[in-house]
Amino acid sequence: MAAAPRPVYLLQSALLNAAGDSAEALHGPAPAAQALEFAPERLGFPLAAPRLPAGRFDRKLARSVEAQGLRLLHCAARLGDALDALGLAPERIALTAAIPEVDAPSPGWEAVAAMREQPGHWLAQWFAHTPPLHSLTLLNSSVMAHIAEALACRGPMAGYCGQDSAGLDALAAAMHAVAEHRADAALVVSASPNLTPALFLREAELEDGGVDFRPGEGAAAWLLSAEAPAGRRVRIAGFGRGYVPASAEVESAARDCLARVMNQALGPERLSLGDLAAVYSEPEDVLLGWALGRTPVHGGARPRVGALGASSLLTDLAYALASPEFSTLERTAYLLFLNRSYTGQVAALVLALEPGRTA
Amino acid sequence: MQREVLVTGYELVAPDALDAATLFRHIAEGQSGLRAHPRFEALGFANTAAGFLDAAQWAHIHAATAQLPGITPPQARLAEFVAQGALARAGLVPDDFRDLRAGLFLGANKFCADSRDFAALCPCVDSVELFDLDRLLDEVAPVSHPYARRVDQQTQHLAERLGVADQISTHADACAAGTVAIGSAFRAIARGEIDIALCGAVELMANELPYYMFNSLGALCQAELPAEQQSRPFLRDRAGFVLGEGAALLVLESRQHAERRGAAALGRVLGFSALSEAEKMTSSSRDGGKYLACMRATLDDARCSPADIHHINTHGTSTQANDSCEAKAVLTLFEGQLERLTLTANKSAIGHSLAASGAIEAVLSLMSLSEGLLLPTLNYRAEAAEFPALRFLSAAERAPIHTVLSNSFGFGGVNSSLVLGRA
Repeated sequence: MAAAPRPVYLLQSALLNAAGDSAEALHGPAPAAQALEFAPERLGFPLAAPRLPAGRFDRKLARSVEAQGLRLLHCAARLGDALDALGLAPERIALTAAIPEVDAPSPGWEAVAAMREQPGHWLAQWFAHTPPLHSLTLLNSSVMAHIAEALACRGPMAGYCGQDSAGLDALAAAMHAVAEHRADAALVVSASPNLTPALFLREAELEDGGVDFRPGEGAAAWLLSAEAPAGRRVRIAGFGRGYVPASAEVESAARDCLARVMNQALGPERLSLGDLAAVYSEPEDVLLGWALGRTPVHGGARPRVGALGASSLLTDLAYALASPEFSTLERTAYLLFLNRSYTGQVAALVLALEPGRTA
Repeated sequence: MQREVLVTGYELVAPDALDAATLFRHIAEGQSGLRAHPRFEALGFANTAAGFLDAAQWAHIHAATAQLPGITPPQARLAEFVAQGALARAGLVPDDFRDLRAGLFLGANKFCADSRDFAALCPCVDSVELFDLDRLLDEVAPVSHPYARRVDQQTQHLAERLGVADQISTHADACAAGTVAIGSAFRAIARGEIDIALCGAVELMANELPYYMFNSLGALCQAELPAEQQSRPFLRDRAGFVLGEGAALLVLESRQHAERRGAAALGRVLGFSALSEAEKMTSSSRDGGKYLACMRATLDDARCSPADIHHINTHGTSTQANDSCEAKAVLTLFEGQLERLTLTANKSAIGHSLAASGAIEAVLSLMSLSEGLLLPTLNYRAEAAEFPALRFLSAAERAPIHTVLSNSFGFGGVNSSLVLGRA
């Protein structure tokens, strides 16, 4: 007989974005958006590729992992000590990831540049001088493999490729693995796409729609555990996922979908909007606004660090939990994170912030 | 209490086969889908073998999806074509999904530009090697440009077409992605999160970029053999895999839901596991221990023992490392059971279609369960086998079986398995 599901706690985060590498930095002075190198009239929040932290990864890896992967490894490495401190067997540690695209098209621009330099040689020669396991040849799972090896994660594994909603997919898969006793802890990693010309082709709908689209580069990782921390506890209390087809926009189907997502997220603990201590969402989104009614909404980290795609949710969790408002608690506080990607995925997550137990 | 999960529909497209019945018949008759790829020949590759979708197949797919806009990417068009077949088999039409608690779970790995895509971009690189985005945007409609396509484009396309409102996910787990997509749908239904799902994978990677990628790793077969003989899983002289492509989609639903709408069960999903290996990037533990752990976890999930498994659809890529590790894992887990256990390696006939492979193999396994016909491993000769204790068939064999263990082990160490059962 299967064991009953158990609670899952968020233990520690690691971030990297234009504001810095800590959750507290997201509450500091906002960085200024910069003109993008390949399109000076467009603004965004690019990052220099980070150096790999010493100790966890072979520095030589930096030559074969592109910038997005390096950001991911940078965050994962900084959770290594906390993971080690749990003292778990590698087989009990899950690894899940939300990675937009490690491979083409992003690093494909290198190939374009190479072909421009040597148009007669085409790809064969270019590849002849490209080491095996170069970023262009890698899959999402390749970057996950680097993390798995360095942090000894041999439990359940799942990789998601998508936009903002992939972050919740990865978090939910990790939560299920721990809640269903298939793992005792989980590392969840997520990254934004690289800022390349390809991004503006893929996000053309936003450009055409006149939206001030300011993408950012970043990564975020969280360590989850079945073991409650001694101090303030952050428990995953519910989540919901849905998809609003473009054809259903402003129609009743879109509202039905959103209502269902909210019910899924709030239902497990029988919560209503009035029970929430804070809601983090997109204040300008009319559809989300319909679901939230008059509930005050916090805007999340996006205005400060740009649209981070698959790493936006995990970044927002860290941003909210670092808020001074929640540093001391007298009773359980519930936070709702509600997001809709421009392509229609809706994601809702409820966290329960519980006061630490006194001795 | 977990709900029982049935398979009520499936369809696929594979090299030289536009549907599951054709592919099943081809393999049963020993007919390979591997041929010389015209583009590989044109590029002068030393080895031109591939399991690719040919022009006649694409013409058929285009005709069947003529209602889609001309700029629809091939991956999305293929997904649409296969979905139509899978839904029809399940007695559904696309609009049915709008009113159901439904999910869509698709495996996909790379957008995979080819050299023609790269070449088209070269004029947009200026004299100081900076990319001129405006020039590119001026010259092409962004949404139709290959670089505008996302890895999750086919998921997005099908979600829109079906009106799936509950859960859509794109699984990027390398060669395990199709199996992981099926397993994720299985879990979501078993938990009661959704009632029905369309799941599987689409992969179009039989082109030059993946060829360079995998060749640089030494993973592709470079033996001087006719194309149809190059994929030789578990033989001593195996020399690497042959690139393939294709798509397979399955309709899964809870037993209650299937019975309520009077759908016929084609099979069952009984268990699933996906484990991280944390070993080396390109090879598993030499003793097969990591693959063994994955298979064991899957049997545990299905609440069955090795004695309950009748047949194994191996990952069987035809590389030295993979087949050796998988064989050792099977020999260990099924010790004492090997005489009654049969195995097959579908990649011998269609090559390695990466993300799609696990989904295609799941469909073929379900057909073996329902037809009572075990598929041969093409090119297999017992006298040339490296692991003679494993009973791979060199010709199709009739046998009533009740369970199949289907393995998919992904590049980078994503190991996954499914246990499938007869309806």
